[in-house]
Amino acid sequence: MIPAPLARLLGHTRGRLLAGALVLTALTGVAPHLAVTGQRVEALVVIDITGSMNTRDERLDGKPASRLDKAKAVLRGLAASLPCGSRLGLGLFAERRTFLLFEPIETCADFAALDGALANLDWRMGWEGDSRVAAGLFRAIGLAGDLGSDLVFVTDGHEAPPLPARGGPAFEGKPGAVRGLIVGAGGHTPSPIPRYDDRGREIGFYGAEDVPHENRFGPPPPDADKREGYNPRNAPFGAAAAPGQEHLSSVRETYLRGLAAETGLAYAPLDAPGGLAGPLTAAATPRTRPVRLDLRPVLGGTALAALLVLFGLLPWHVRLRETVSRLGHGA
Amino acid sequence: MTAGLMALVSRFGVTAPAWLWLLPLALMPLVASSQKRIPVPSLAMVPADGLSRLVDAVLTLAGMAAIGFLILALAGPHLVGESLMRTGEGAQISLLIDRSGSMNETFAGRQPSGPEESKAAASRRILEGFVGRRAHDLVAVSAFSTSPMAVLPMTDRHDAVRAAIRAIDRPGLEATNVARGLGLALAQFGPGAPQASRVLLLVSDGAAIIDRRVQPTLREEFAKIRPTLYWLFLRTAGSPGLGDRPAGEDTPQAAPERHLDLFFKSLGVPYRAFEAESAQAVEEAIREIDRQERKPISYTERRPQRDLTGFAYGLAALAMALLLAAKLAETDLAVRASASRPAASRETRRAA
Repeated sequence: MIPAPLARLLGHTRGRLLAGALVLTALTGVAPHLAVTGQRVEALVVIDITGSMNTRDERLDGKPASRLDKAKAVLRGLAASLPCGSRLGLGLFAERRTFLLFEPIETCADFAALDGALANLDWRMGWEGDSRVAAGLFRAIGLAGDLGSDLVFVTDGHEAPPLPARGGPAFEGKPGAVRGLIVGAGGHTPSPIPRYDDRGREIGFYGAEDVPHENRFGPPPPDADKREGYNPRNAPFGAAAAPGQEHLSSVRETYLRGLAAETGLAYAPLDAPGGLAGPLTAAATPRTRPVRLDLRPVLGGTALAALLVLFGLLPWHVRLRETVSRLGHGA
Repeated sequence: MTAGLMALVSRFGVTAPAWLWLLPLALMPLVASSQKRIPVPSLAMVPADGLSRLVDAVLTLAGMAAIGFLILALAGPHLVGESLMRTGEGAQISLLIDRSGSMNETFAGRQPSGPEESKAAASRRILEGFVGRRAHDLVAVSAFSTSPMAVLPMTDRHDAVRAAIRAIDRPGLEATNVARGLGLALAQFGPGAPQASRVLLLVSDGAAIIDRRVQPTLREEFAKIRPTLYWLFLRTAGSPGLGDRPAGEDTPQAAPERHLDLFFKSLGVPYRAFEAESAQAVEEAIREIDRQERKPISYTERRPQRDLTGFAYGLAALAMALLLAAKLAETDLAVRASASRPAASRETRRAA
C-alpha cells in the first residue's frame, strides 16, 4: 500500500521526473563504482644504445633527431599513456648483452622515476662498440622470461660487425613463450653514423674504410670462388676488401621482421602513429587488473537530464498545449 | 581568514571543465517552476502574502541549486593536493653500485653454488632492507662498470628504488671504472635542497686507478656538493685490504684499493670506509650507516587531492529533496476547495 501523497506524486510526470532525479543522485552516494576488469601491460623495455642509434634520421617535433632521442621520447610517451597498474622495466643493449637497470615498476605511481630514468639514457652508458642485435635480442628474451614480463626491444637492427655468410645465431628458446614487440628505429634511406672520440665528442661520421663490410669468421659464402684473387687456402674470401654500405645505416625492417617471426614477437615501427601503447597492448600477454568504473557521471547525467526536462521542456510544452486549447476554444 | 579562503579557492579545480558551459541552464527555474500549474481565472483572486513569496523564492533557488550542483558534480570538482614541508629523519642518498662481473662471485672469490650467496646477491638483500627501513630518504641509483649508468634519478618512490636494487645481482659487465661512476653519482644530487644531508654510498668489490687528469675535477665536485662519503668495500677473502701496503712498489697500479682510500681521505669530506668480508659484515656496516645518517631533513609531503564530487551530488540531492517535499505538499484547488492554508496558496501564486 503506497501512502496517498506518494501515489499522487508518482501519478504525475513532474513528480516522477523529480523523484527519479533524486533517486539517481542519491545512488551516486550509495553505489558510485562498478567493479570490472581492465587490461594492463607488464613489459621490460630494452633499448639499443650502440653507435648506429646516434644516426640522426628520425624526426622529433619537426626537427631532425637521433634514433636514440626519438626512442626516448616515444618510450616516455608510452609510459605516460599506459593505463595505471601497468609496469615497465628498463634495460640496455650493447655488444651482445642486455644489462638490466631496474625491474618493472608501476607506470603511474612511479612515473617520475621512470620518466627520469628514460630521459637520462645516453649512448655513453654503452660498454662496447659491437652491436650483435640477434644475440642481444635472444638474451633480452631470456631476461624478460626470467622476470615473467613481456619485452619491448627497441633497435635499428644494424648488426655490427655484419653477420657471417651462414647467417646469425639461431634462437634456442621457445617462440612465443615471451610475448612483446620489436620496435624498429630509423629511416629507410641509408644515413651516415656520427663518430665520437674517446672523450665523447663528435668528430664527424664513419667512412666506408672505417668499418668492416663483411664478416670473415666461419666458412666463406658459396659464391666466393668467383671473386677476384680467390684462393681456397690463402684467400677464401677473395683478395680484395669487400665493398659495402655498412658505414651507412637505415632501419633493417625486413631483418627485424624476420627476427620477430622467429621469436614469436610482433614488429612495430618506432614512429607508428598514435605511439606504442596500441601495438604493445595488442602484442602483450593479457593481464587483468581490477578497475573501478565510475558510475557517477552516468547517474548524475541522467538526473540532470530529468531536471532539464522538468524545468525546461515540460513548462513550455504545457504552455504550448494550453495556448492551442485556448485557441481551439476561442474558435 | 580571507587569506585562508583565497588559498582554498586557488586550490579548487575541476577535472572536466567543459561541463561548466552548461551552468547557464541552472537559470531555468527562474522562468519555470517544477510545481503544478493550476489555472486560476484571475490573479486578483489570490491575496498577495509574504510567506508565499518566500516559499516561491526558496523553491526557485532549490531548483537552481539542484541543476547547478549536478553540473558541477559532473565536472568533477576537487581540491588540489597541497605540498607540505615536514621534518623527519633522513637524507639524500646517492647509491653507486659496482656492476662488474666479479660482483657475481662469492666473498671467497668463487662462483656461488648451493646456499652460497654472491657479493651482488648479499648487497641486494641488505640494501633492499636498508631502503625499506628509511621512510623519508630520497634515493638515486647509479651503476658503473666500464661506463657509468644513471639508473634512477633522485626519487622518494622506494618501490622503484627497490626494483633497481633487485637488478644488481643480474650478470654484470667486465671492468671497474670508478672515476666516471663517482662523477655521475655526484651529479645525481642535483641543485636542490643544499641544506639536506647528502650521502654518497659506494658499494664495490674492488677499485681502479683514478686518472690523474680526472682527479682535480672530482675534488672540485666533492668540495661543491660536500656529501658524506661511505665506501662499502666488499673484500674478497685473501685479497689485500685498504691498509695493506703492497710488498713491492706502493703505486696506484699495485694497490688500487689502498690508493682509492687515500684519495677519498684527501677529499676533505666526511668519509668512512667499511671493509666487509662477509654478508654479516655488510649488514653491520649498513646498520652503522643507518645510525649515522639520522639527521633531521625537511621533505615535502604531497597530500592527495580531495574529491568534492560526492559533496556536490549531496547538495544537489538536498535541493531536490526540498523540491520533492514541496511537491508532496501540493494541493489541487479543484479537489480541496478550502484553500485557506498558506501552503496551498503558494502554488496558486506561483501558477499565476
